[in-house]
Amino acid sequence: MDYAFINYKMNNKNMNNKSWAVVFLSFALIALIGCGSGENTNSKQDIPTFSLAWSEYPSWSVFGVADLKGILNGKKGELGSVEEKWGVDIVLKEAEYDPCLAMYGAGQCDAVCITNMDVLSPAGGRPGVMVLPTSTSFGADACLVTSDIKSVEDLKGKKVFGLEKSVSEYCFVRNLELLGQKEGDFSFSNMDPGAAAVAMQQKNKDQEAIVVWNPFVISTLAKREDVRVLFDSTKIPNEIIDSVVVAKESLAKEGGEAFACAIIDAFYQVNSAIADPEKRDDTLISIGEKFANLTLKDMEKIVQQTKFYGTADEGAALLTGSDLPKIMDRVVDFCVSHGIVENKPALGYGAEGPDVSVRFDASYIQKVKEGSTKQNEK
Amino acid sequence: MISRRISRARQIVLSTLSVLLLVLGYTWISHRQHQVNPEDTTIPNWSQLAEGAVKFTQPDRKGQRWLVEDSLATAKRLAAGISLGIVFGFMIGMSMGCITSLEAFLQPPISLLAKVPQTAALAVYFVFFGTGMEMYVAMISFGIIPTLAVTVYLAIKDIPSEMLDKAYTLGASHFEIAFEVVFKQVLPKFIDAVRLCIGPAIVFLIAAEMVVGDVGFGYRIRLQFKLTNMNVVYPYLVFLACFGFLLDYMLRFLQAKICPWYQNNSK
Amino acid sequence: MKEDGHQDFSLQCQKVSHWFGETKVLFDLNLKVKAGQFVSLIGPSGCGKSTLLRAILGTHIPNEGQILTMQNGELISADRPGRDRGIVYQKYSLYPFLTALDNVALGLKLDQTSALFRLFNWSGWAKKRKNFRDRAAVFLEKVGLGHAMHMYPSQMSGGMQQRVAIAQALIMEPEIILLDEPFGALDEATREELQEMLLLLYQENQDAISKSQKPPYTLIIVTHELNEAIRVGDRLVGLSQYWNWEEAGHDSPPGATVVYDKPSPIFKPNERPDYESFENIRREIRSYVYNPDILQSRNEYLMTKLV
Repeated sequence: MDYAFINYKMNNKNMNNKSWAVVFLSFALIALIGCGSGENTNSKQDIPTFSLAWSEYPSWSVFGVADLKGILNGKKGELGSVEEKWGVDIVLKEAEYDPCLAMYGAGQCDAVCITNMDVLSPAGGRPGVMVLPTSTSFGADACLVTSDIKSVEDLKGKKVFGLEKSVSEYCFVRNLELLGQKEGDFSFSNMDPGAAAVAMQQKNKDQEAIVVWNPFVISTLAKREDVRVLFDSTKIPNEIIDSVVVAKESLAKEGGEAFACAIIDAFYQVNSAIADPEKRDDTLISIGEKFANLTLKDMEKIVQQTKFYGTADEGAALLTGSDLPKIMDRVVDFCVSHGIVENKPALGYGAEGPDVSVRFDASYIQKVKEGSTKQNEK
Repeated sequence: MISRRISRARQIVLSTLSVLLLVLGYTWISHRQHQVNPEDTTIPNWSQLAEGAVKFTQPDRKGQRWLVEDSLATAKRLAAGISLGIVFGFMIGMSMGCITSLEAFLQPPISLLAKVPQTAALAVYFVFFGTGMEMYVAMISFGIIPTLAVTVYLAIKDIPSEMLDKAYTLGASHFEIAFEVVFKQVLPKFIDAVRLCIGPAIVFLIAAEMVVGDVGFGYRIRLQFKLTNMNVVYPYLVFLACFGFLLDYMLRFLQAKICPWYQNNSK
Repeated sequence: MKEDGHQDFSLQCQKVSHWFGETKVLFDLNLKVKAGQFVSLIGPSGCGKSTLLRAILGTHIPNEGQILTMQNGELISADRPGRDRGIVYQKYSLYPFLTALDNVALGLKLDQTSALFRLFNWSGWAKKRKNFRDRAAVFLEKVGLGHAMHMYPSQMSGGMQQRVAIAQALIMEPEIILLDEPFGALDEATREELQEMLLLLYQENQDAISKSQKPPYTLIIVTHELNEAIRVGDRLVGLSQYWNWEEAGHDSPPGATVVYDKPSPIFKPNERPDYESFENIRREIRSYVYNPDILQSRNEYLMTKLV
C-alpha cells in the first residue's frame, strides 16, 4: 500500500520535473538564438572571410560582373584572382537595395553598396567607413512629368510620387531649393519607384509627376513620348554618391583592411575593362545583364547618367576633395530635417580622427594604387 | 497520459510563464546585442522601445500621430476591401451553388483568380486601379473573393439533398429554398471562411501599402525598417497581430450570436 | 392525366420502370394506395424501395410509366415534390438551424406566406408567425415533445428528432406521407415507442372512417424490420428482384417489382404485440420476397393480389 503511494507521488514529481525541463529547455533555446544573432558567421579557416551586400545598380552591378569574370568569387570558400592576391575570401550577397541596408544595419554583412545619404541612418548603430566611391548620379535620378506640367509651378497642387526619405526625395528637394521654391508648397507622396514608373508608363491619371532613379528613368522616357525630365541630378552633381561602405568593426578584424582593398581592386579592374576599347562593349553588356537586363545601347546612356569613378585617382580625389564636407553637411541637414536620422551624425574625413559614425577614408584606395604600381613594376 | 486535463490555475500559470520567458529571453538577447554594440537599434532594449512608443504616439513634425493615422488608414482600407469581398464572394458562391449553369460558367475565372498570388500581381492592380483607395479595395477583395465563393459553393454542395427535397414538400418556392434553407445552413461556414481570410487580406494590404501610399501600417513598417528603427517596427507588428485577433474574436462572437446551433463553434 | 371513379386513391403507380444506365432497378411496377392505408413497403436490400419512394416523391422521375398522386383533388402526375406528399427521412430529417418548434412551423411558413410578405409586412408576419408556432406546438404535443420546443436538433436524441420530423410532415396535412426507414437508426425501445405513435395515428383513421369521414393519414413506410412492417402497416407490399423473369420472357434481370401484397394484422396502440403469432406471415414474406431461390411467377402473383 505504502509502496503504491510512493509510486504515485514519484510519478507526480516526474510530471513536475518534466514540465520544468521543458521550461528550462525553451529558455536555453532562446539563449542560443541570442548567441547566434550578434556574431558574423566567420568560419575558422586560414583565410578570413568577409561579406559584401550589393544590389542591382550600374556601378554596383560591377561586382556581379567581377564575379562572372573570376576577379571575385562570390561563393564562400572559393577565391577569385583578387581574393587570392589580398588573401581574403569575399562572399557576395545580392539583394534588393532596402534589404541590403537592413542587412548592414543588422550586422549580417561586413560591407554594403550604399549611397552617402542612406548610410547615415544605419551608421548610427554601426559606424562605417566609406572606402570606395563607385559613382555619382548625373541624371540618374530625375523628376519626370507629363506634358501638362510645363514648369515647376505646375507641380504645386499635384502629387509628386517617389520613394520617401530616399535620394529621390533629396534630389527633388534640392532642385526645388536651386529653383528658389519652398518645399512646403509641394506634395511629395510615397511610392516605390518601380511602381511609380509602371504607373506612369501605363498612363495612370494619378501619376503626373514622379521622381525615380535608373533604370526607371530611361524606361519611362522610352515608353512615353509625352513625358520629359523636369529636372534631375545633373543640377546637383556629386551630391548623390554611390559607394561601398565597410563597417568599422569589420575593418578592425584581421584581414579587414585587405578586404577593403580587395573590393576596391576588383572594382577598378572591371572599370579598366570598360575604359579599354576592346573590352568595353563586352563589359558593358555584362553589367547590363546584371542590371535590369539592359541592352548595350541603354547601358551607353546609363554610363553617361551614372558617372563611374573608375580609377583610383578619381576615387581618391572625391573622398579627399574639399567639396565633400560641404556636400555631406547638406545631406545631413536634409536627413535631420526629414526625420531620417534623429541626431546629426558625426562625420570624419581622412584616415585618422575621432570616433565618428561615417568616415571618408581614401587610404585604402591609396594602398590599392600602390599595390598595383608595385605589381606594374614587377 | 496524453491530453490529460489540468486545472485552470495550472493553465494560467503555464501561459503566463511562457509569456514571461519570452519577455525575459528578448531582454537578454537585446542586452547581449547592446554589449557588442551599444548603438544597436536592431534589437532594441526597453528604453529604446519606450522611445519608439513616444515616436509613434506623440505628434510628429507634421502634427500627425503615427499610430492613430496608420491604424485609421489601414483599418479603413481593410474594412472596405473585406466588405466588398464578403458581399461579392457570397453572391458568387450562392449563384454557383444554386444554379448549375452559372457554376460551369464561373468555375474557370474563379479558379484562376484563386491561384494567382495577389502579392505577385501587385503591378496589375496599379495598372488597372491606380494608386488610391480603389486599388487597395480591389486587391483585398479580389484576393478573398475566390476563397469565399468556393467555400459557399462547396458548402451548398454539401447540403444533403434530403433537406432540399423536404423543403419542396413543405411548400417552398425556389427562392425560399435559397434563402431559408441554403443561406442559413451555409452562413456559419461562411463566417469561418471569412475568419480565415482576414490573415491573407491583411497580408495583401500590407504588401500594397509597402509599395505605395504615405500612411498605413505597411508604409510605416517599410520606412522604419529601412531606417533600422526596429523600436517602431516590432511594436507595429505586435499591433497588427492584436488587430487580427480582435477581428477574429469579433467574428466568432457574431457567429455565436447569429448561429447558436452551429456545433463546430469552438470557444 | 385524370383518373375518374378512383377518388379514393391517394396514389397510383402504373407500369413504373426505372434504371440507371445498365443497372435496372424497377420493372413494371403497379401499385394503388387508398386513402387511410398504412402501406409497409418491404424487400431485400437494393431492390429499389428508396428509388420507388423518390419516384413517388417526385425527385427522381421514372424512366417509364407514370405515378399519379392526388394533388388539389385531382390525380396528377407526380413530376415534382409538392406539399401533397410529405417525407420523413432516416437521416438529415430536420433543419439544424431551427428549433423543434420552428422546424415544425416551417411548412406553414413556407406554404402560406411568401418571402415578400415576410420581408415587408413585418407586423402581419409577426402575427402569422405566432399563429404558426401555436399550431406547431399542438403538433409537438401530439408527438409527445411539448417540453422540447425550443431545443435545436443537435440537442435532441435520435428518437426525438424523428418525432419532430413526423410532426413536421403531419402539420402540412398531406395526402400521403412517405417514410424512408424512419426508425432505422434508433434503438429497439425508441423504435417501439415511435411505432406506438404511428398506431395512434391509425386509430384516428379508424375513428374518422367510423364517422364516414375521410381518414386523415395515408402512409407508405419503407422498412427493413419485418416486425415493424407487420405491426405498423395494415397492408404489406413486398418489392423484390427475386421473381421468375425468365418465365416472363426476359433475358436478363429486368428489375424489382411487387411480388407480395397482402393485408397486415391491425394492432392497437398500447397492445403488446405477440410477435410469435405472426411467424407464419414472416415465413411467407421471407420466402416470397427475400429468398433468392424462390422465384414467384408473375402471373401467379398478379392473380392473387388484392386491390
